[in-house]
Amino acid sequence: MWFFILGRLAMAFLTILATTVAVTLLIHLVPGDPVQIMYAQSQGTTPEQIEAIRHGLGLDQPIYVQYASYLWRLAHGDLGYTIRGHQPVLDVILQRLPNTLALAAAAMVVAIAIGLPVGFMAAWRRGSWLDTALMAGAIAGISIPGFWLGLLLLLVFAVDLGWFPVSGTGPANLVLPAVTLGLSNAAVIARMTRSSMIDTMRQDFVRTAEAKGLPKATILRRHVLRAGLVPIVTMIGLQFAFMMGGAIVVENIFSWNGVGRMAIEAIFQRDYPVIQGFILAFATVVVAVSLIVDVIYALVDPRIRRS
Amino acid sequence: MTELLHEISVPPTRVSGRRWVFLRRVVATPGGSAGLAVLLLLVGSALFADLVAPYSPIKMGVGKRFLPPSLAFPMGTDEFGRDVFSRILFGSRLTLMIGAIAVGISMSAGLVIGLVAAYRGGWIEKVLMRTTDMLLSFTETLIALACVAVLGPSLANAMIAVGIAGIPLYARTCHSAALVERSKPYFEASVAAGAGHCRLIVLHLLPNILPTMIVVATLGISSAILAAAALSFLGLGAQPPQPEWGAMLSGARDYLNRGPWLMAVPGLAIAVTVLGFNLLGDAVRTALDPREAGE
Repeated sequence: MWFFILGRLAMAFLTILATTVAVTLLIHLVPGDPVQIMYAQSQGTTPEQIEAIRHGLGLDQPIYVQYASYLWRLAHGDLGYTIRGHQPVLDVILQRLPNTLALAAAAMVVAIAIGLPVGFMAAWRRGSWLDTALMAGAIAGISIPGFWLGLLLLLVFAVDLGWFPVSGTGPANLVLPAVTLGLSNAAVIARMTRSSMIDTMRQDFVRTAEAKGLPKATILRRHVLRAGLVPIVTMIGLQFAFMMGGAIVVENIFSWNGVGRMAIEAIFQRDYPVIQGFILAFATVVVAVSLIVDVIYALVDPRIRRS
Repeated sequence: MTELLHEISVPPTRVSGRRWVFLRRVVATPGGSAGLAVLLLLVGSALFADLVAPYSPIKMGVGKRFLPPSLAFPMGTDEFGRDVFSRILFGSRLTLMIGAIAVGISMSAGLVIGLVAAYRGGWIEKVLMRTTDMLLSFTETLIALACVAVLGPSLANAMIAVGIAGIPLYARTCHSAALVERSKPYFEASVAAGAGHCRLIVLHLLPNILPTMIVVATLGISSAILAAAALSFLGLGAQPPQPEWGAMLSGARDYLNRGPWLMAVPGLAIAVTVLGFNLLGDAVRTALDPREAGE
């Protein structure tokens, strides 16, 4: 078990390290001079100032020196300063990251609360009209763009009915974005749950249970649900990354003050230190979550940690 | 996409000889025929937009501003007095183009990476597939955003970004499909008979993994369209006055009250298109996978 966890930890560390390389290279892939592009929006920068900024960002040094100093600063919790406003990037991100995590977590609750029962019902009554209807709903849910769903909910529940605030960052503001993000992912979880349950129902041990004459409800509860839930837990864990990705769009609809909204603003303003910090933060969250999921999976299913 | 991966890891590739049977099986399901109908509608409106559209998609003031849907303007007019119906028709061109180009990029790069990794094996395979897995875990949204951050916002760059973001999925699928083919007796026989690298890859591996890749591509078009529309919605893709559906939706945000149809119409267009490709992809997969079909 410890060997397994150590292996996963090493993988996670390597992934983050690879991300730091990508993030350092990012600024050099920009067509043209990144410093000029970054400061194109602020007036009155003289060539001397541009050179001073270039030096300040270390962009006049060989790339391996840049990378080494990036790592060094990173180890000291320094992600650089924002181009607009000159604030520490780490502070800006840490201030907003909890909002994004809260949104993703709330959306996950919505997605699981709807997706799991729907998928389970569809698998249980599979081939029936209920299954067809639920799965038709699920494929519609996958196809409806999250940003459109968000606007629809905004129009109906915030603008017309006035039940929820239109924009902002607070507990009441969380409802609509969480439902928007949750519903799209509920459809995905419902489909995964259904196929995992159906796979489990085909297993020999389920046939044995049926042959023993156990009541159908008992088979479902004791055998199918228990065995079928294990892969679903992993898939839901992976889904978290997609939740974070979806949050970027949803935050922008509802003006939710998270890292996604920050990232889009940074892309518009060409604020590369913020973009770099965002990518690194996003990757770290995703890696951490999948590490936790892997460990839980190994705890639940001994076959995994022995393989 | 995780779900896609999970489900696609199953389909076998045993259809090559029975293409017509396969097509009939796709159309036989309600989902498949509905998907095909949406695809035909989309292609039709893209081809005949010039003939069918009553107005230019970018000409302002063809009607008053914010006219609700009527006979003269079936989908109303927008904040510049442009005809929404014409914009939607011309937008279907952009949507098809986005889907085709983005999937083309993902598919070609993914095929090369997956085939090379599966064929060469060894450390090349390890490096390529580890990188692919890493990128997969970061989700397409993040990769696409990073690409747009580098390239700058525009429709062309959004297509490239979505295309690049899709590469890991295609590479991973191609790799596992190619691995299956590589271990089959016919392949080993060709190796024993002294077939060269090119012959083995192009004549043996490629044709046999293509059915699997077609399923990924059909489902992939819908997510590519969705992703590109999301970028345009955020202002990072198509720029005004391009009649791109995501960009139209973005413009409609400021007029939720004055012109709710401005939001309803492009969103519905995206949803129907994506639904169509999803249904088609599902039907193709079911037709390819007897385990699901044998119900």
